[in-house]
Amino acid sequence: MEISRLPRVLLIFLTLFLIQEALINQIDFLVAGFSLYLAFFMAWVIQDQRDSAVTTGFIAGLILDLSPTLEAPFGLWTFVLASMSFLLASNVRAALDAQLTPLVMLSATVLASTFALTLFLLVGAILGQEVGSASYVIRSIFGNALWSVLLSPLYVPVAVRLHKATLTARQQ
Amino acid sequence: MASRGSNRSRLRWVFLLVTSLFIITLDLRGVSPLSSLRSGTQSVLAPVERLATRVFSPVSNFFSEVGNLGRSKERIDRLEAENQELKSQIIFNENTLTQLESLKGVLDLAGKARYKTVSARVISKGGIGTFSETIVLDRGSNSGIGRDMTVIAPGGLVGVVKSTTASSSIVLLMNDPSFRIGVRVAGKQDMGILLGQGDKSHSLQMLSATSVISVGDVLLSRGSSGDKPFVPGVPVGKVSYVENAVGQLTKEGRVNGFVDLNSLSVVSVVLAAVAGDPGDALVPQAPRPAPTVTVFVTPSPTSEVQGYGD
Repeated sequence: MEISRLPRVLLIFLTLFLIQEALINQIDFLVAGFSLYLAFFMAWVIQDQRDSAVTTGFIAGLILDLSPTLEAPFGLWTFVLASMSFLLASNVRAALDAQLTPLVMLSATVLASTFALTLFLLVGAILGQEVGSASYVIRSIFGNALWSVLLSPLYVPVAVRLHKATLTARQQ
Repeated sequence: MASRGSNRSRLRWVFLLVTSLFIITLDLRGVSPLSSLRSGTQSVLAPVERLATRVFSPVSNFFSEVGNLGRSKERIDRLEAENQELKSQIIFNENTLTQLESLKGVLDLAGKARYKTVSARVISKGGIGTFSETIVLDRGSNSGIGRDMTVIAPGGLVGVVKSTTASSSIVLLMNDPSFRIGVRVAGKQDMGILLGQGDKSHSLQMLSATSVISVGDVLLSRGSSGDKPFVPGVPVGKVSYVENAVGQLTKEGRVNGFVDLNSLSVVSVVLAAVAGDPGDALVPQAPRPAPTVTVFVTPSPTSEVQGYGD
Protein backbone atom coordinates (compact mmCIF):
# COMPACT_ATOMS: atom_id res chain seq x y z
CA MET A 1 0.00 0.00 0.00
CA GLU A 2 1.25 3.44 -0.86
CA ILE A 3 2.00 5.72 2.06
CA SER A 4 -0.23 8.46 0.60
CA ARG A 5 -3.22 6.10 0.73
CA LEU A 6 -2.72 5.14 4.35
CA PRO A 7 -4.28 8.22 6.05
CA ARG A 8 -7.39 7.96 3.91
CA VAL A 9 -7.84 4.27 4.68
CA LEU A 10 -7.23 4.95 8.36
CA LEU A 11 -9.79 7.77 8.38
CA ILE A 12 -12.43 5.65 6.63
CA PHE A 13 -12.05 2.74 9.03
CA LEU A 14 -11.94 5.01 12.09
CA THR A 15 -15.18 6.68 10.96
CA LEU A 16 -16.72 3.28 10.37
CA PHE A 17 -15.64 2.14 13.82
CA LEU A 18 -17.29 5.20 15.33
CA ILE A 19 -20.53 4.54 13.42
CA GLN A 20 -20.48 0.91 14.53
CA GLU A 21 -19.88 1.70 18.19
CA ALA A 22 -22.11 4.76 18.54
CA LEU A 23 -25.01 3.94 16.20
CA ILE A 24 -25.20 0.37 14.91
CA ASN A 25 -24.63 -1.17 18.34
CA GLN A 26 -27.64 0.72 19.67
CA ILE A 27 -30.04 -0.86 17.20
CA ASP A 28 -31.93 -3.89 18.43
CA PHE A 29 -31.75 -6.22 15.47
CA LEU A 30 -34.37 -8.93 15.31
CA VAL A 31 -31.83 -11.78 15.20
CA ALA A 32 -28.55 -11.20 17.04
CA GLY A 33 -26.73 -8.14 15.67
CA PHE A 34 -24.91 -6.77 12.66
CA SER A 35 -21.28 -5.81 12.29
CA LEU A 36 -21.20 -3.18 9.58
CA TYR A 37 -17.50 -2.79 10.23
CA LEU A 38 -16.77 -6.41 9.42
CA ALA A 39 -19.02 -6.55 6.36
CA PHE A 40 -17.62 -3.30 5.00
CA PHE A 41 -14.07 -4.51 5.60
CA MET A 42 -14.68 -7.71 3.65
CA ALA A 43 -16.31 -5.79 0.78
CA TRP A 44 -13.33 -3.45 0.78
CA VAL A 45 -10.51 -5.93 1.03
CA ILE A 46 -11.82 -8.20 -1.69
CA GLN A 47 -11.18 -5.39 -4.15
CA ASP A 48 -7.64 -4.83 -2.91
CA GLN A 49 -4.34 -6.09 -4.20
CA ARG A 50 -2.70 -8.60 -1.90
CA ASP A 51 -0.02 -6.19 -0.73
CA SER A 52 -2.36 -3.46 0.38
CA ALA A 53 -5.02 -5.93 1.56
CA VAL A 54 -2.72 -7.32 4.22
CA THR A 55 -1.82 -3.84 5.51
CA THR A 56 -5.49 -2.79 5.47
CA GLY A 57 -6.38 -5.96 7.38
CA PHE A 58 -3.79 -5.18 10.02
CA ILE A 59 -4.92 -1.57 10.42
CA ALA A 60 -8.65 -2.44 10.45
CA GLY A 61 -7.98 -5.17 13.02
CA LEU A 62 -6.06 -2.80 15.27
CA ILE A 63 -8.94 -0.31 15.15
CA LEU A 64 -11.50 -3.02 15.93
CA ASP A 65 -9.36 -4.15 18.87
CA LEU A 66 -9.85 -0.69 20.38
CA SER A 67 -13.51 -1.49 21.07
CA PRO A 68 -13.95 -0.88 24.82
CA THR A 69 -16.65 -3.53 25.14
CA LEU A 70 -14.35 -6.24 23.77
CA GLU A 71 -13.44 -8.96 26.25
CA ALA A 72 -10.92 -10.71 23.99
CA PRO A 73 -7.21 -9.92 24.25
CA PHE A 74 -5.94 -6.90 22.36
CA GLY A 75 -4.60 -7.99 19.00
CA LEU A 76 -7.01 -10.86 18.39
CA TRP A 77 -9.03 -9.02 15.77
CA THR A 78 -5.74 -7.78 14.26
CA PHE A 79 -4.63 -11.38 13.87
CA VAL A 80 -7.98 -12.50 12.44
CA LEU A 81 -8.41 -9.63 9.96
CA ALA A 82 -4.78 -9.78 8.80
CA SER A 83 -5.24 -13.51 8.13
CA MET A 84 -8.59 -13.00 6.44
CA SER A 85 -7.32 -10.22 4.21
CA PHE A 86 -4.47 -12.37 2.94
CA LEU A 87 -6.80 -15.29 2.37
CA LEU A 88 -9.32 -13.13 0.53
CA ALA A 89 -6.84 -11.18 -1.57
CA SER A 90 -4.68 -14.12 -2.56
CA ASN A 91 -6.84 -17.23 -2.73
CA VAL A 92 -10.47 -16.15 -3.05
CA ARG A 93 -9.83 -13.12 -5.22
CA ALA A 94 -7.60 -15.12 -7.55
CA ALA A 95 -10.26 -17.78 -7.96
CA LEU A 96 -12.93 -15.22 -8.88
CA ASP A 97 -13.32 -13.37 -12.15
CA ALA A 98 -11.32 -10.20 -12.67
CA GLN A 99 -14.60 -8.25 -12.71
CA LEU A 100 -16.47 -8.72 -9.48
CA THR A 101 -20.21 -9.04 -10.02
CA PRO A 102 -22.48 -7.77 -7.23
CA LEU A 103 -23.69 -11.30 -6.48
CA VAL A 104 -20.15 -12.69 -6.24
CA MET A 105 -19.15 -9.78 -4.06
CA LEU A 106 -22.16 -10.23 -1.78
CA SER A 107 -21.53 -13.97 -1.38
CA ALA A 108 -17.82 -13.46 -0.71
CA THR A 109 -18.52 -10.69 1.80
CA VAL A 110 -21.09 -12.67 3.76
CA LEU A 111 -19.06 -15.88 3.76
CA ALA A 112 -15.89 -14.05 4.72
CA SER A 113 -17.65 -12.22 7.61
CA THR A 114 -19.03 -15.51 8.86
CA PHE A 115 -15.65 -17.18 8.58
CA ALA A 116 -13.94 -14.26 10.34
CA LEU A 117 -16.36 -14.45 13.29
CA THR A 118 -15.83 -18.20 13.52
CA LEU A 119 -12.05 -17.78 13.40
CA PHE A 120 -12.25 -15.08 16.07
CA LEU A 121 -14.21 -17.42 18.34
CA LEU A 122 -11.92 -20.35 17.64
CA VAL A 123 -8.69 -18.49 18.34
CA GLY A 124 -10.35 -16.80 21.34
CA ALA A 125 -11.35 -20.21 22.72
CA ILE A 126 -7.78 -21.45 22.26
CA LEU A 127 -6.57 -18.42 24.21
CA GLY A 128 -8.99 -19.26 27.02
CA GLN A 129 -11.91 -16.96 26.25
CA GLU A 130 -15.44 -17.95 27.26
CA VAL A 131 -17.41 -18.70 24.12
CA GLY A 132 -20.95 -19.24 25.39
CA SER A 133 -23.53 -21.82 24.49
CA ALA A 134 -23.73 -23.33 21.00
CA SER A 135 -27.13 -21.74 20.40
CA TYR A 136 -25.74 -18.30 21.27
CA VAL A 137 -22.80 -18.71 18.91
CA ILE A 138 -24.95 -20.03 16.08
CA ARG A 139 -27.55 -17.29 16.54
CA SER A 140 -24.87 -14.59 16.59
CA ILE A 141 -23.11 -15.83 13.46
CA PHE A 142 -26.32 -16.56 11.59
CA GLY A 143 -27.81 -13.19 12.59
CA ASN A 144 -24.76 -11.33 11.35
CA ALA A 145 -24.84 -13.25 8.06
CA LEU A 146 -28.54 -12.51 7.62
CA TRP A 147 -28.13 -8.78 8.19
CA SER A 148 -25.01 -8.71 6.02
CA VAL A 149 -27.12 -10.07 3.16
CA LEU A 150 -30.14 -7.83 3.78
CA LEU A 151 -28.15 -4.63 4.17
CA SER A 152 -25.65 -5.33 1.41
CA PRO A 153 -27.35 -2.93 -1.07
CA LEU A 154 -26.46 -0.17 1.36
CA TYR A 155 -22.86 -0.85 2.31
CA VAL A 156 -21.41 -2.67 -0.75
CA PRO A 157 -21.80 0.28 -3.19
CA VAL A 158 -20.33 2.63 -0.57
CA ALA A 159 -17.38 0.28 -0.06
CA VAL A 160 -16.80 0.09 -3.82
CA ARG A 161 -16.94 3.88 -4.27
CA LEU A 162 -14.79 4.69 -1.28
CA HIS A 163 -12.25 2.07 -2.27
CA LYS A 164 -12.05 3.56 -5.74
CA ALA A 165 -11.71 7.03 -4.28
CA THR A 166 -8.65 6.06 -2.25
CA LEU A 167 -6.83 4.68 -5.30
CA THR A 168 -4.48 6.82 -7.36
CA ALA A 169 -5.27 7.35 -11.05
CA ARG A 170 -2.58 4.83 -12.01
CA GLN A 171 -3.97 2.19 -9.65
CA GLN A 172 -7.50 2.70 -11.00
CA MET B 1 8.89 -10.28 -11.02
CA ALA B 2 5.48 -11.53 -10.01
CA SER B 3 7.08 -14.14 -7.83
CA ARG B 4 9.26 -11.54 -6.13
CA GLY B 5 6.19 -9.37 -5.48
CA SER B 6 4.30 -12.38 -4.23
CA ASN B 7 7.09 -13.34 -1.85
CA ARG B 8 7.34 -9.79 -0.59
CA SER B 9 3.63 -9.60 0.27
CA ARG B 10 3.79 -13.02 1.88
CA LEU B 11 6.73 -11.88 3.95
CA ARG B 12 4.80 -8.76 4.97
CA TRP B 13 1.81 -10.89 5.91
CA VAL B 14 3.94 -13.16 8.08
CA PHE B 15 5.54 -10.11 9.71
CA LEU B 16 2.13 -8.56 10.49
CA LEU B 17 0.78 -11.85 11.85
CA VAL B 18 3.79 -12.21 14.13
CA THR B 19 3.29 -8.60 15.24
CA SER B 20 -0.36 -9.27 16.09
CA LEU B 21 0.61 -12.41 18.04
CA PHE B 22 3.19 -10.30 19.87
CA ILE B 23 0.48 -7.75 20.76
CA ILE B 24 -1.80 -10.55 22.01
CA THR B 25 1.01 -11.92 24.18
CA LEU B 26 1.71 -8.48 25.63
CA ASP B 27 -1.97 -7.99 26.44
CA LEU B 28 -2.31 -11.42 28.05
CA ARG B 29 0.72 -10.61 30.17
CA GLY B 30 -1.06 -7.46 31.37
CA VAL B 31 1.00 -4.74 29.71
CA SER B 32 -0.87 -1.65 30.86
CA PRO B 33 -0.53 0.65 27.79
CA LEU B 34 -2.63 -1.78 25.77
CA SER B 35 -5.48 -1.93 28.29
CA SER B 36 -5.37 1.84 28.73
CA LEU B 37 -5.80 2.16 24.96
CA ARG B 38 -9.29 0.68 25.31
CA SER B 39 -10.26 2.91 28.21
CA GLY B 40 -8.90 5.84 26.21
CA THR B 41 -11.17 4.84 23.35
CA GLN B 42 -14.09 4.67 25.77
CA SER B 43 -13.36 8.22 26.93
CA VAL B 44 -13.50 9.39 23.32
CA LEU B 45 -16.55 7.30 22.43
CA ALA B 46 -18.73 8.12 25.45
CA PRO B 47 -19.67 11.69 24.40
CA VAL B 48 -20.38 10.48 20.85
CA GLU B 49 -22.53 7.63 22.15
CA ARG B 50 -24.38 10.00 24.46
CA LEU B 51 -25.04 12.36 21.60
CA ALA B 52 -26.07 9.51 19.33
CA THR B 53 -28.54 8.25 21.94
CA ARG B 54 -30.05 11.72 22.26
CA VAL B 55 -30.26 12.37 18.54
CA PHE B 56 -30.74 8.95 17.06
CA SER B 57 -33.59 7.62 19.20
CA PRO B 58 -36.16 10.33 18.42
CA VAL B 59 -35.04 10.62 14.78
CA SER B 60 -35.43 6.89 14.17
CA ASN B 61 -39.09 7.17 15.12
CA PHE B 62 -39.68 9.58 12.27
CA PHE B 63 -38.24 7.56 9.40
CA SER B 64 -41.77 6.55 8.49
CA GLU B 65 -42.80 10.21 8.21
CA VAL B 66 -40.34 11.02 5.43
CA GLY B 67 -42.82 9.95 2.73
CA ASN B 68 -45.02 12.99 3.36
CA LEU B 69 -42.45 15.56 2.26
CA GLY B 70 -43.82 16.06 -1.27
CA ARG B 71 -47.12 17.71 -0.29
CA SER B 72 -47.32 21.36 -1.08
CA LYS B 73 -50.39 22.78 0.61
CA GLU B 74 -49.39 25.17 3.33
CA ARG B 75 -52.15 24.11 5.63
CA ILE B 76 -51.29 20.45 5.32
CA ASP B 77 -47.67 21.29 5.99
CA ARG B 78 -48.54 23.28 9.05
CA LEU B 79 -50.86 20.60 10.38
CA GLU B 80 -48.31 17.94 9.70
CA ALA B 81 -45.66 19.94 11.47
CA GLU B 82 -47.96 20.33 14.45
CA ASN B 83 -48.85 16.69 14.26
CA GLN B 84 -45.20 15.67 14.22
CA GLU B 85 -44.45 17.96 17.08
CA LEU B 86 -47.23 16.39 19.08
CA LYS B 87 -46.07 12.93 18.09
CA SER B 88 -42.54 13.70 19.13
CA GLN B 89 -43.90 15.09 22.37
CA ILE B 90 -45.86 11.88 22.95
CA ILE B 91 -42.82 9.75 22.12
CA PHE B 92 -40.69 11.91 24.38
CA ASN B 93 -43.26 11.63 27.14
CA GLU B 94 -43.52 7.87 26.69
CA ASN B 95 -39.74 7.53 26.77
CA THR B 96 -39.54 9.70 29.85
CA LEU B 97 -42.38 7.83 31.51
CA THR B 98 -40.73 4.48 30.80
CA GLN B 99 -37.45 5.74 32.20
CA LEU B 100 -39.25 7.21 35.20
CA GLU B 101 -41.02 3.93 35.93
CA SER B 102 -37.77 2.07 35.54
CA LEU B 103 -36.03 4.51 37.85
CA LYS B 104 -38.84 4.27 40.40
CA GLY B 105 -38.66 0.48 40.34
CA VAL B 106 -34.93 0.36 40.82
CA LEU B 107 -35.04 2.95 43.60
CA ASP B 108 -37.75 0.91 45.34
CA LEU B 109 -35.52 -2.13 45.19
CA ALA B 110 -32.46 -0.21 46.38
CA GLY B 111 -34.49 1.48 49.12
CA LYS B 112 -35.80 -1.83 50.47
CA ALA B 113 -32.29 -3.20 50.85
CA ARG B 114 -30.83 0.19 51.84
CA TYR B 115 -28.32 0.12 49.04
CA LYS B 116 -26.54 3.36 48.26
CA THR B 117 -26.92 3.69 44.51
CA VAL B 118 -26.21 5.91 41.54
CA SER B 119 -28.65 5.77 38.63
CA ALA B 120 -27.40 5.91 35.06
CA ARG B 121 -28.78 5.73 31.56
CA VAL B 122 -27.76 3.05 29.07
CA ILE B 123 -26.13 4.81 26.11
CA SER B 124 -24.75 1.92 24.09
CA LYS B 125 -24.10 -1.78 24.11
CA GLY B 126 -21.48 -4.23 22.86
CA GLY B 127 -21.58 -5.17 19.21
CA ILE B 128 -21.71 -8.56 17.53
CA GLY B 129 -17.99 -8.47 16.81
CA THR B 130 -17.12 -8.47 20.49
CA PHE B 131 -19.03 -11.65 21.39
CA SER B 132 -19.51 -10.18 24.83
CA GLU B 133 -22.75 -9.01 26.40
CA THR B 134 -22.07 -5.50 27.66
CA ILE B 135 -23.76 -2.12 28.02
CA VAL B 136 -22.30 1.36 28.34
CA LEU B 137 -23.62 3.75 31.03
CA ASP B 138 -23.50 7.54 30.93
CA ARG B 139 -21.98 7.81 34.44
CA GLY B 140 -18.44 6.98 35.46
CA SER B 141 -15.86 7.49 38.17
CA ASN B 142 -16.91 11.14 38.59
CA SER B 143 -20.20 9.84 40.03
CA GLY B 144 -18.47 7.41 42.35
CA ILE B 145 -18.78 4.36 40.11
CA GLY B 146 -15.84 2.00 40.21
CA ARG B 147 -14.82 -1.37 38.82
CA ASP B 148 -16.53 -4.47 40.25
CA MET B 149 -19.71 -2.79 41.47
CA THR B 150 -23.10 -4.49 41.26
CA VAL B 151 -25.58 -3.13 38.71
CA ILE B 152 -29.31 -3.57 39.29
CA ALA B 153 -32.60 -2.82 37.52
CA PRO B 154 -36.19 -2.88 38.89
CA GLY B 155 -36.36 -6.68 38.62
CA GLY B 156 -32.99 -7.49 40.12
CA LEU B 157 -29.45 -8.13 38.99
CA VAL B 158 -28.18 -6.76 35.67
CA GLY B 159 -24.42 -7.32 35.85
CA VAL B 160 -21.19 -5.91 37.15
CA VAL B 161 -19.12 -2.85 36.27
CA LYS B 162 -16.17 -3.98 34.18
CA SER B 163 -14.36 -0.69 33.63
CA THR B 164 -14.93 3.02 34.05
CA THR B 165 -13.80 6.33 32.66
CA ALA B 166 -14.56 9.72 34.19
CA SER B 167 -17.98 9.97 32.56
CA SER B 168 -18.92 6.46 31.44
CA SER B 169 -18.71 2.86 32.52
CA ILE B 170 -18.96 -0.53 30.87
CA VAL B 171 -21.12 -3.18 32.48
CA LEU B 172 -20.69 -6.89 31.90
CA LEU B 173 -24.23 -8.28 31.68
CA MET B 174 -25.20 -11.42 33.56
CA ASN B 175 -25.81 -13.33 30.31
CA ASP B 176 -22.22 -12.87 29.14
CA PRO B 177 -20.46 -16.25 28.76
CA SER B 178 -17.71 -15.16 31.16
CA PHE B 179 -20.14 -14.02 33.89
CA ARG B 180 -20.13 -15.99 37.18
CA ILE B 181 -21.98 -15.24 40.40
CA GLY B 182 -22.42 -17.09 43.66
CA VAL B 183 -26.12 -17.49 44.46
CA ARG B 184 -28.25 -18.93 47.22
CA VAL B 185 -31.77 -20.25 47.11
CA ALA B 186 -34.17 -17.88 48.84
CA GLY B 187 -35.52 -19.30 52.09
CA LYS B 188 -32.74 -21.90 52.27
CA GLN B 189 -29.01 -21.82 52.63
CA ASP B 190 -28.26 -23.94 49.56
CA MET B 191 -25.61 -22.32 47.40
CA GLY B 192 -24.64 -22.54 43.78
CA ILE B 193 -22.92 -20.78 40.92
CA LEU B 194 -24.82 -19.09 38.12
CA LEU B 195 -23.07 -18.95 34.76
CA GLY B 196 -23.95 -16.72 31.82
CA GLN B 197 -24.56 -18.52 28.55
CA GLY B 198 -25.16 -15.71 26.10
CA ASP B 199 -28.85 -16.62 26.07
CA LYS B 200 -31.87 -15.44 28.02
CA SER B 201 -31.51 -18.35 30.42
CA HIS B 202 -28.49 -19.03 32.59
CA SER B 203 -26.86 -22.19 33.81
CA LEU B 204 -26.93 -23.09 37.52
CA GLN B 205 -24.57 -25.46 39.31
CA MET B 206 -25.22 -26.24 42.95
CA LEU B 207 -22.17 -26.58 45.16
CA SER B 208 -23.25 -29.25 47.59
CA ALA B 209 -24.30 -32.79 46.70
CA THR B 210 -27.14 -32.54 49.22
CA SER B 211 -28.58 -29.31 47.82
CA VAL B 212 -32.09 -29.58 46.53
CA ILE B 213 -33.53 -27.20 43.98
CA SER B 214 -36.86 -27.19 42.31
CA VAL B 215 -38.54 -25.28 39.52
CA GLY B 216 -39.74 -21.90 40.73
CA ASP B 217 -37.04 -21.43 43.38
CA VAL B 218 -35.86 -17.83 43.58
CA LEU B 219 -32.11 -17.20 43.57
CA LEU B 220 -30.43 -14.30 45.34
CA SER B 221 -26.85 -13.09 45.12
CA ARG B 222 -24.66 -14.42 47.93
CA GLY B 223 -22.50 -11.35 48.11
CA SER B 224 -18.75 -11.01 47.96
CA SER B 225 -16.15 -9.97 50.45
CA GLY B 226 -16.31 -6.19 50.77
CA ASP B 227 -19.48 -6.23 48.61
CA LYS B 228 -17.36 -6.37 45.46
CA PRO B 229 -18.23 -7.45 42.90
CA PHE B 230 -21.62 -8.45 44.33
CA VAL B 231 -23.70 -7.11 47.17
CA PRO B 232 -25.81 -9.76 48.95
CA GLY B 233 -29.52 -10.29 48.56
CA VAL B 234 -30.11 -9.05 45.00
CA PRO B 235 -32.74 -11.14 43.16
CA VAL B 236 -30.97 -12.94 40.32
CA GLY B 237 -33.55 -15.21 38.74
CA LYS B 238 -35.95 -18.10 39.04
CA VAL B 239 -35.14 -21.78 38.42
CA SER B 240 -36.91 -22.86 35.25
CA TYR B 241 -35.51 -26.35 34.77
CA VAL B 242 -33.75 -28.90 36.94
CA GLU B 243 -31.57 -31.55 35.37
CA ASN B 244 -32.03 -35.01 36.82
CA ALA B 245 -29.22 -36.92 35.16
CA VAL B 246 -27.99 -40.14 36.75
CA GLY B 247 -24.44 -39.96 38.14
CA GLN B 248 -24.42 -36.22 38.67
CA LEU B 249 -22.53 -35.17 41.77
CA THR B 250 -24.46 -31.94 42.24
CA LYS B 251 -27.74 -30.64 40.92
CA GLU B 252 -27.69 -28.52 37.77
CA GLY B 253 -30.39 -26.47 36.16
CA ARG B 254 -31.43 -23.49 34.09
CA VAL B 255 -32.43 -20.10 35.45
CA ASN B 256 -34.45 -17.29 33.92
CA GLY B 257 -33.26 -13.84 35.00
CA PHE B 258 -35.72 -11.35 36.47
CA VAL B 259 -34.49 -8.54 34.23
CA ASP B 260 -34.99 -8.29 30.48
CA LEU B 261 -31.43 -7.43 29.49
CA ASN B 262 -32.43 -6.41 25.97
CA SER B 263 -34.60 -3.50 27.00
CA LEU B 264 -32.61 -1.67 29.62
CA SER B 265 -32.88 2.10 29.67
CA VAL B 266 -32.09 3.10 33.26
CA VAL B 267 -30.11 1.06 35.78
CA SER B 268 -28.55 1.68 39.18
CA VAL B 269 -25.03 0.98 40.30
CA VAL B 270 -24.78 -0.10 43.93
CA LEU B 271 -22.06 1.94 45.61
CA ALA B 272 -22.50 0.30 49.02
CA ALA B 273 -24.86 -1.93 50.97
CA VAL B 274 -25.42 0.30 53.98
CA ALA B 275 -27.48 -2.15 56.03
CA GLY B 276 -25.54 -5.29 55.15
CA ASP B 277 -27.30 -8.41 53.93
CA PRO B 278 -31.04 -7.77 53.42
CA GLY B 279 -31.70 -11.52 53.57
CA ASP B 280 -34.79 -12.55 51.63
CA ALA B 281 -36.35 -9.07 51.78
CA LEU B 282 -35.96 -8.49 48.06
CA VAL B 283 -37.56 -11.72 46.88
CA PRO B 284 -40.21 -10.66 44.35
CA GLN B 285 -43.69 -11.16 45.69
CA ALA B 286 -45.87 -13.49 43.69
CA PRO B 287 -48.94 -11.70 42.36
CA ARG B 288 -51.84 -12.22 44.70
CA PRO B 289 -54.82 -13.93 43.11
CA ALA B 290 -57.77 -11.57 42.74
CA PRO B 291 -60.62 -12.54 45.06
CA THR B 292 -63.36 -14.29 43.18
CA VAL B 293 -66.96 -13.62 44.02
CA THR B 294 -69.06 -16.74 44.27
CA VAL B 295 -72.79 -16.30 44.03
CA PHE B 296 -75.11 -19.09 45.08
CA VAL B 297 -78.52 -18.94 43.52
CA THR B 298 -81.29 -20.96 45.11
CA PRO B 299 -84.36 -21.34 42.91
CA SER B 300 -87.42 -20.10 44.74
CA PRO B 301 -90.27 -22.64 44.91
CA THR B 302 -93.19 -21.77 42.63
CA SER B 303 -96.81 -22.59 43.49
CA GLU B 304 -97.62 -24.20 40.15
CA VAL B 305 -95.63 -25.60 37.30
CA GLN B 306 -96.88 -24.74 33.89
CA GLY B 307 -96.53 -27.37 31.22
CA TYR B 308 -96.03 -26.80 27.49
CA GLY B 309 -99.49 -27.97 26.78
CA ASP B 310 -101.14 -25.29 28.85
